[in-house]
Amino acid sequence: MMGAYRADDDYDYLFKVVLIGDSGVGKSNLLSRFTRNEFSVESKSTIGVEFATRSIHVDDKIVKAQIWDTAGQERYRAITSAYYRGAVGALLVYDVTRHITFENIERWLKELRAHTDANIVIMLVGNKADLRHLRAVSTEDARAFSERENNYFMETSALEALNVDSAFTEVLTQIYRVVSRKALDIGNDPAALPKGRTIDIGNRDDVSAVKKGGCCSA
Amino acid sequence: MNGSNTNSRDEDRRKDSSNTTLTSLNQTLRNVQGLLKGRSFPGKVMLTRRTDPLSDSSLRSPDTDRSFSNKHAGTSEWLDDSVEDDIQSKSTPSTNSTGNKSRTSTSSGEDTSKESQKSTIGARATDSARLMKFTKALSGPTVILDKLRELAWSGVPPYLRPTVWRLLLMMPSLWYKGLGMTSAVHCQQGYAPTNSDRREVVLRRKRLEYLDCVAQYYDIPDIQRTDEEITMLRQISVDCPRTVPDVTFFQQAEVQKSLERILYTWAIRHPASGYVQGINDLATPFLVVFLSEFLEGSVDDWTTLDLPPEKISDIEADCYWCLSKLLDGMQDHYTFAQPGIQRLVFKLKELVRRIDEPVSRHIEEQGLEFLQFAFRWFNCLLIREIPFHLVTRLWDTYLAEGDALPDFLVYIFASFLLTWSDKIQKLDFQEMVMFLQHLPTENWNHVELEMVLSRAYMWHTMFKSSPSHFSS
Repeated sequence: MMGAYRADDDYDYLFKVVLIGDSGVGKSNLLSRFTRNEFSVESKSTIGVEFATRSIHVDDKIVKAQIWDTAGQERYRAITSAYYRGAVGALLVYDVTRHITFENIERWLKELRAHTDANIVIMLVGNKADLRHLRAVSTEDARAFSERENNYFMETSALEALNVDSAFTEVLTQIYRVVSRKALDIGNDPAALPKGRTIDIGNRDDVSAVKKGGCCSA
Repeated sequence: MNGSNTNSRDEDRRKDSSNTTLTSLNQTLRNVQGLLKGRSFPGKVMLTRRTDPLSDSSLRSPDTDRSFSNKHAGTSEWLDDSVEDDIQSKSTPSTNSTGNKSRTSTSSGEDTSKESQKSTIGARATDSARLMKFTKALSGPTVILDKLRELAWSGVPPYLRPTVWRLLLMMPSLWYKGLGMTSAVHCQQGYAPTNSDRREVVLRRKRLEYLDCVAQYYDIPDIQRTDEEITMLRQISVDCPRTVPDVTFFQQAEVQKSLERILYTWAIRHPASGYVQGINDLATPFLVVFLSEFLEGSVDDWTTLDLPPEKISDIEADCYWCLSKLLDGMQDHYTFAQPGIQRLVFKLKELVRRIDEPVSRHIEEQGLEFLQFAFRWFNCLLIREIPFHLVTRLWDTYLAEGDALPDFLVYIFASFLLTWSDKIQKLDFQEMVMFLQHLPTENWNHVELEMVLSRAYMWHTMFKSSPSHFSS
């Protein structure tokens, strides 16, 4: 019955990614920019969760991202946190023109760590970078924070389509690296430690390594 | 009645087991066409096989619904409730219904002849016989709320909407607030405050009360607010510009300010839930309807809000009270973890399983949770899912349902979902999530909406007598 749709679903990896952060920081527009190359000035607040997908190539593999866009208001966290389960990547978004949304990042991180696997690839995303004259969060502060927290970091503009693809691609690529390494580890040592711990260590190394390599742009 | 119920249910089973979805759609369509021709209630045509109008009237939903839901209220509280709540009065006024029935039957003849000339779909609310009924219901020395609800259920003529909505939402809550014994008795019997003078008094007082609230809670410097209040106000101000963004009228600063005052005042006065995203959507039908008394044409043609400040504050006040009344019946929809919505989503899933087993099975097989698409439906009462110009019509039915609304929503949403029964069964998980979150309703008109409502009515009549299908 699903035959007709198989062509679309031709992928090697399927990764679940969540978009979280305060209300009005531009999560839904980041998603629509990445999955449909669309930006809407008339967008409405997200109620509960919304969903979209896009496939990209990493090495010679097709990686499909299943992205859950969540409502930003605190009241919805009981509902939205259910969607964190099984997520292997997260874009934690703040608005560079509203400092409070950056201050709240810490709480979002806590929330994420409480509900997800320790291996999850997290990227801090400072959106609305096009509003240069209104900037309230400096790139340096945000980068320092992300280094402290061992997260990736990028500034984006969904409006100008700046870095949006790179941000998602980076997250998906890193997830892919973690997953292929995991496959390798298990292949080498069938009696390996529970996968969580094995990957955890490797992942952290990866994160710092890539970050030093300069994935960040501003 | 039992007999016809069983028949209908049998029909439904047969429908499930084969390809009769189309037949049932056609039936619904016929049903709706009957309704558009001025017959009085959706669903009844199918249930009674078009017997005489007299027995039809006794089948109509709001009355029977409520006596049903009253059973759950428990008898001891029931009496107290009936003083406080207009809905409870529904089980008493058999004399009123009789009066109404005879009027229905006498007018239905001219209804049909006049209506047959009109081909405008969805124009039912404007047909002259219906207008006459509304005018009659509103012009007497007392307004019989039962009758008004019955009429409103199938759509209120636009120019009467502000009056009707105010009566349905703003008046009942006043009776128990010190208006004396007489009014309490009237209330039990299903009367609105008897004369228009008294209605004016009530309105004036409510509007002043709102102004006081705004002065006390909204018009204060931020230092006098708690951190939570500041967060809430910030959230509201983020959401106001994103409210009905596709209608330009809502883009005006003044309109957004009004909305902000309404929402913030409501939130402060309802600390158990506070402001929750989506409640901003719920205020908009009220704004549009009460503004329609002062602005020409449809909301799409409105440009500026150049009204005297006192008019604006009256409109705001009416919106505030109507929003409050609407949400009173759904408080736990917006408290922590939104248990009320979760409960209704569960009921929806159960009802769909009962009505359309193949769809239900497909959804389950694909691992799709009802919460993944129906959450927003309940949270915003379908405002996000249908074109804005249909929303006020939908709300006529909501408001007519009164306190029975939450349960009836389950039927409306089942009907809405199963509009795409065939389509859904062809989709896999991802396609289904995306389809259900962006339903193709942009070209919907009154026909489609009436179809959803009349089918909901029909299912409600069929299933409500066996509520055990919800327990599990």
